[in-house]
Amino acid sequence: MANTDDEDDYMNMTFEEAPKQETSLQRRARIEREGKDRGYNKSKATLEAEAEAKREAALANALDSTNKGFKMMAKLGFKQGDALGKSGNARKEPIQLSMKDDRGGIGMDSEKKRKFREQMEKAKQETKKAKVEEGDYRERVRQDREEKKNERDFYNAQRTAERLHEQALDLATTNDPQNALASSNPLKDAHVVWRGLLLHRFEKMHDKKQQHELRNNLSARLPAVGDDEEDNDDKIALGCDVDIPFLEDYVDNEDPELEAFNELPFAERLRQAIAYLRERHHYCFWCKYQYPDASMEGCPGIAEEDHD
Amino acid sequence: MVACTQPRRVAAMSVAQRVAEEMDVELGEEVGYSIRFEDKTSPSTMLKYMTDGMLLREAMHDNNLTRYSTIILDEAHERTLATDILMALLKDVVQRRKDLKLIIMSATLDATKFQKYFLDAPLLAVPGRTHPVEIFYTPSPEKDYVEAALRTVLQIHTIEGEGDILLFLTGEEEIEDACRKINVEVQALISEVDAGPLQVYPLYGTLPPAQQQKIFSPAPPPFKPNGRPGRKCIVSTNIAETSLTIDGIVYVVDPGFSKQKVYNPRIRVESLLVSPISKASAQQRAGRAGRTRPGKCFRLYTEAAFKKELIEQTYPEILRSNLASTVLELKKLGVDDLVHFDLMDPPAPETLMRALEELNYLACLDDEEFYCSNEMLSLTALLSVPQVFVRPANNRKRADEMKDLFAHPKGDHLTLLNVYHAFKGEPAQDNPKQWCHDHFLSYRALQQADNVRLQLKRIMEREEIELMSTPFENNKYYENIQRALVAGFFMQVAKRNGNGKTYITVKDDQNVLLHPSTVLAEDSEWVVYNEFVLTNKNYIRTVTAVKPEWLLDIAPNYYDLDTFKKGEVKNALQRTVNKMMRKEAERGRR
Repeated sequence: MANTDDEDDYMNMTFEEAPKQETSLQRRARIEREGKDRGYNKSKATLEAEAEAKREAALANALDSTNKGFKMMAKLGFKQGDALGKSGNARKEPIQLSMKDDRGGIGMDSEKKRKFREQMEKAKQETKKAKVEEGDYRERVRQDREEKKNERDFYNAQRTAERLHEQALDLATTNDPQNALASSNPLKDAHVVWRGLLLHRFEKMHDKKQQHELRNNLSARLPAVGDDEEDNDDKIALGCDVDIPFLEDYVDNEDPELEAFNELPFAERLRQAIAYLRERHHYCFWCKYQYPDASMEGCPGIAEEDHD
Repeated sequence: MVACTQPRRVAAMSVAQRVAEEMDVELGEEVGYSIRFEDKTSPSTMLKYMTDGMLLREAMHDNNLTRYSTIILDEAHERTLATDILMALLKDVVQRRKDLKLIIMSATLDATKFQKYFLDAPLLAVPGRTHPVEIFYTPSPEKDYVEAALRTVLQIHTIEGEGDILLFLTGEEEIEDACRKINVEVQALISEVDAGPLQVYPLYGTLPPAQQQKIFSPAPPPFKPNGRPGRKCIVSTNIAETSLTIDGIVYVVDPGFSKQKVYNPRIRVESLLVSPISKASAQQRAGRAGRTRPGKCFRLYTEAAFKKELIEQTYPEILRSNLASTVLELKKLGVDDLVHFDLMDPPAPETLMRALEELNYLACLDDEEFYCSNEMLSLTALLSVPQVFVRPANNRKRADEMKDLFAHPKGDHLTLLNVYHAFKGEPAQDNPKQWCHDHFLSYRALQQADNVRLQLKRIMEREEIELMSTPFENNKYYENIQRALVAGFFMQVAKRNGNGKTYITVKDDQNVLLHPSTVLAEDSEWVVYNEFVLTNKNYIRTVTAVKPEWLLDIAPNYYDLDTFKKGEVKNALQRTVNKMMRKEAERGRR
């Protein structure tokens, strides 16, 4: 500027650049850092990976208009994005560098890639499948467990029903001896929800009896010991049961009601058994308590969850 | 006069020889040749064979090539740098000179591309005289192409009928290794399955000519009359694909790779890399099996890979080269608009950018004198020839000890000079061959370097450039050479990384290692390098220590700190600048 001397620019808005010289602190930090670097030996693999990363970075970086050569070409009418030559359809990018670091034959790389892709795909599908199966499995286990629990609960409910029935019967006998006589066939009396239990027990008794008879037949040929003095208790002790004449009659007549009931899943049988207990005996299977009346005051509900 | 160009010196010479014989004239009279450093023509010459580079040189002095009435560019399909530039130049010249006839000869299937480029010139097809070649592919890709190649050769030898084998591999080391392995395996085949004899010959560019000649010796005869046929197996680089023709080859084994020059302007690296060949190249290789009778070609890849993975044509050299010197040549050829120069395949714009940038920096150098033009002349010659040091696999230790005799702690360039001076010394010249052999040096390479040096010296004398040396006793002798190296190679400098093993190249910021062959003994923070060798490890080869002050001093434009990215190199240079300024200030105070 010609007039610098006359008009001193006393309010210059530009700041002088800070001196580039490093301070003693910076210097110490640098030396320390460099020393550390020197002391630390990177593995060959790390070094190779680093070199490759840098190479890839440099290869991906096109020379731009800041390049001195670009400026010289621009003077000849070259613009960014142009190709060289007259036709205008020449290449715009340099030929890609590809390093070969193994002895794989032509097509091996793409074969490897293809295999890798296939494997990835397969692995992906397998994990997917495994997940589905895993889900299935868990569900199955859960169902199994639930089924078993329902089964257990159902048998418990059956036994409860029988016990309550007998209690009721006893009570009735005490109250009204006239009416006390149970039916000649208890199987027919029993409600379907616990009839199965009874039948099962009778069948077992029947089997035992038959075994006993078989043995008796054998022992019949041996001298018998005081056969006639045996009472019912003795009979039980000796393995021969009370008479169950109604069983044969029952078996002969079939019981479609029980058969249909046994077809039901345990959950449903349990539900019906619980409903029966509540209705007939005002007993809540979950509270394990017999309420005095039909209102069953105090019981939170029919379902097990209500009792949590 | 008619000019006929060839891409290679040997071809120019041998074709001229053959044509002179057929025409029954003396070589150098009516028919002659002209190659670098050798002109075998006379005023009576009518037909001149020459390398394409030679014709390019002539065009620099005579832009219209007025001496010639007809120009034939032979083997144009090889697309050498010189051929491509000649085509672009001549395309222009034929429009100026209506009397000039231009013939392009190409063995390519892609003739229409040439036709279109030359403004729909008439196309003449000359059918070749070859026998059918049956081609076999492998059913699946090979894990190891070398191993697969050896297997195939041995299999051919065991089961196929008479006929020699040509195996293509990529480089000297690979070829020598393969030859060794084949020899071992063949001994087993002979004793186990009664196979015939197999003579194995390596073939590559740096092999001494005498050994190259061996490939033409006939195949060995069977061990006994009517026994299994004997044959020869030539394990060769690409040179057997085009430049050398060997009769008797019936089986070709083609793994599909060759070493090819690549250049990328983004990281400024020009290197030889093992790369897949092109379809055209594969066809050429297969054709080698059908020269004398129907043959077989075993491609060690699948047919699908051939179709999908191989490019149609090998990239022309102009797309794979640093163009700095080409740009200079074009300037001399009178081409000013480099951007719109009508090449058949113009390179990527970035390649030209980089070339211009490099030249710009070179032009910015001061004409500083380092008083060692003599030594630089020797070095230039030494760097232009193949490896001077010989390191046989069975005697590496001894070879290294011998090399240590010449080693200069400051680096490989200085070591090379030591070798050259010793070679030129009296004790060595008494029996140079023996001396080289004793010292594990390549007599041929040194001889060649000596020859190149002589040619360069003549040029310098013609240009009246004074040759001088710093006296050896002067303690600046080596330093001056190092400084001169900086002037020549300031764009090929690397700085050591913090941990002392790796280096970073200046500006391009690439991590490199010193090549294991280096003699550089001292811990040098800064080095100039002659070559960036690209493999899965990046090496710099032929390195010499330099001082950062010299960089800033000799090439201030290139080492302008504002043009550097943030990082270790910039910081280190900044410290050097500060140091230099402090010293300057001290000197001023005194």
